[in-house]
Amino acid sequence: MAIQGMSVRSTAILFVAPALAALMLVLAYPIVYSIWLSFTNASLSAGELQTPFAGLDNYMALAGNRTARGALANTIYFTVVEVVSVVVLGLAMAMLLNHPMARSPILRVLLILPWAIAPVANAVLWKWILHSNYGIANAILLSTGAIERNVTWLGSPLLALNTMLLVDIWKSTPFITILLLAALQGIPSALYRAATIDGATAWQKFRHVTLPQLKTALAIAIVLQTIWSLRVFDLIFVLTKGGPFDSTIVLNFLAYRETFNFLKFGFGAAIANLIFLVSLVLAIIYLRLLRLRAVEAR
Amino acid sequence: MVRYVTSGATSVTERSLVGVGIVLFVLWNTAPLAWLVTSSLMHQQALTTTPPDFSPASFTLSNYTEVFNSAAQLGRGLLNSIIIAVGTTALSIVLGAPAAYALARLPLPGRDHLLLMVLAAQMFPAVVVVIPLFIAASKLGLIDTRISLILVYLTFNLPVVIWVLRGFFLGVPKGLERAAEVDGASTWQTFRLIVLPISLPALFAASVFAFIEAWNEFFFALIMTRQESQTVPLVISAFAGQYQTLFGQMMAAAAISIAPVVFLAILLRKTILSGFADGMLKG
Repeated sequence: MAIQGMSVRSTAILFVAPALAALMLVLAYPIVYSIWLSFTNASLSAGELQTPFAGLDNYMALAGNRTARGALANTIYFTVVEVVSVVVLGLAMAMLLNHPMARSPILRVLLILPWAIAPVANAVLWKWILHSNYGIANAILLSTGAIERNVTWLGSPLLALNTMLLVDIWKSTPFITILLLAALQGIPSALYRAATIDGATAWQKFRHVTLPQLKTALAIAIVLQTIWSLRVFDLIFVLTKGGPFDSTIVLNFLAYRETFNFLKFGFGAAIANLIFLVSLVLAIIYLRLLRLRAVEAR
Repeated sequence: MVRYVTSGATSVTERSLVGVGIVLFVLWNTAPLAWLVTSSLMHQQALTTTPPDFSPASFTLSNYTEVFNSAAQLGRGLLNSIIIAVGTTALSIVLGAPAAYALARLPLPGRDHLLLMVLAAQMFPAVVVVIPLFIAASKLGLIDTRISLILVYLTFNLPVVIWVLRGFFLGVPKGLERAAEVDGASTWQTFRLIVLPISLPALFAASVFAFIEAWNEFFFALIMTRQESQTVPLVISAFAGQYQTLFGQMMAAAAISIAPVVFLAILLRKTILSGFADGMLKG
């Protein structure tokens, strides 16, 4: 065996080399290439990619483009509402599942289901649930008298974006719940016992024991969910393709559309790089938070 | 295991609140999926009357057979999805396991930086890397081939596999490796003959994660495939766009696509609930 007789150090390098080479090829190289593309006016002509240098043109266009500004506004709205809803709902669910009455394994399995199913299957399912003529959502709301006639959930701009949010919140909450449940279980029970002895009410225990103990875990949940919210694509593709009137276009979807429908490779790359930059900052914050949690655990 | 401490008996209000919470929780998480399964078993006519007709005569299995006629691609899509998901999973494990071991145990120069890279790699949105990968695949003539997706899926699966396995290797008692070393085993032999065999549960868990991710993936598949190597999510998305009104069949297709993943997720629930969530909270 070739590895025998080598120093442990070089063996270690050999162990990581194949994985590292693969990551360089499919991840590092494309990231660098995409940064370069965003400074060119890349286009396809006769099957060949032409890449004349364009300086900051694409980024200037990004700032001046109305659709891009709309997409940015939608992205911010979508991300903020989703992150807040998912974290609040996830915390509520995690606290429920941590209650002695709700510790059944069956309840926990139910959490995994929305998380595990394919985003596309989820989107198709909701397309049917929300169908304006035959959807079960309208049927239920009509029969309870909550609405008087069928609602076109994906038909008008603000309603479409909010409907999409609801569907994505449904899909995303379980994982954040699992994450927060794991953190809740790590809180020493002695803290609650001490609070009880001091005569603390349930709210005071939540406010002064649970929340401070969960601080870092909540921050991690917020950062991860922000990264994931910035990625939403499948849902938009299946439900609205960005419509009506570009009301459900987010940056991620715009980058796809500019690149692969309009073949503006440079402009698409510029939008993608904006998302990349935000994700990178978030990833760095995430790593800091992990280190903070490790220090706290000591 | 009871860590949550209340002052003795829980009050009636608390119990009823939790009870209501549990009912809402179950409804919220299961109602949409229950409707998916129910409507996949109903005739088109029963689904398009308002309100839906739930009489026993409305129920049928025909959607599950007919959808293979309406969506001629579905059969091939399933085959493509299986080959691609298994292929990329196998490759991720083969490349990822030694790397994870080195990152957990061996004196690797620049280990902390590598770790950060692997962790950060999981965070990047696909749209950032897809344009260059598409251009490269076009130049190499790899558009609409299974191999292109198998390779591209390494972008998200390899980091996850390395991360999950590293967490496991860190917990392996060091005594075993030291004993092997004393017996004159090389690092590679120790890894292959001692560490890997006791890591089968972790290898299995990492494989299931990778498989689920690859099976569900849509965005890369949308861009890198045309006809021949379309995966199930693409077939379903196309079907839902083309046959907007065949609701029962649409849900049958969705049910077929989620069945393997739901099965695997339930099988691996313990690892997902504790191991994976913990992994996201620990550096």
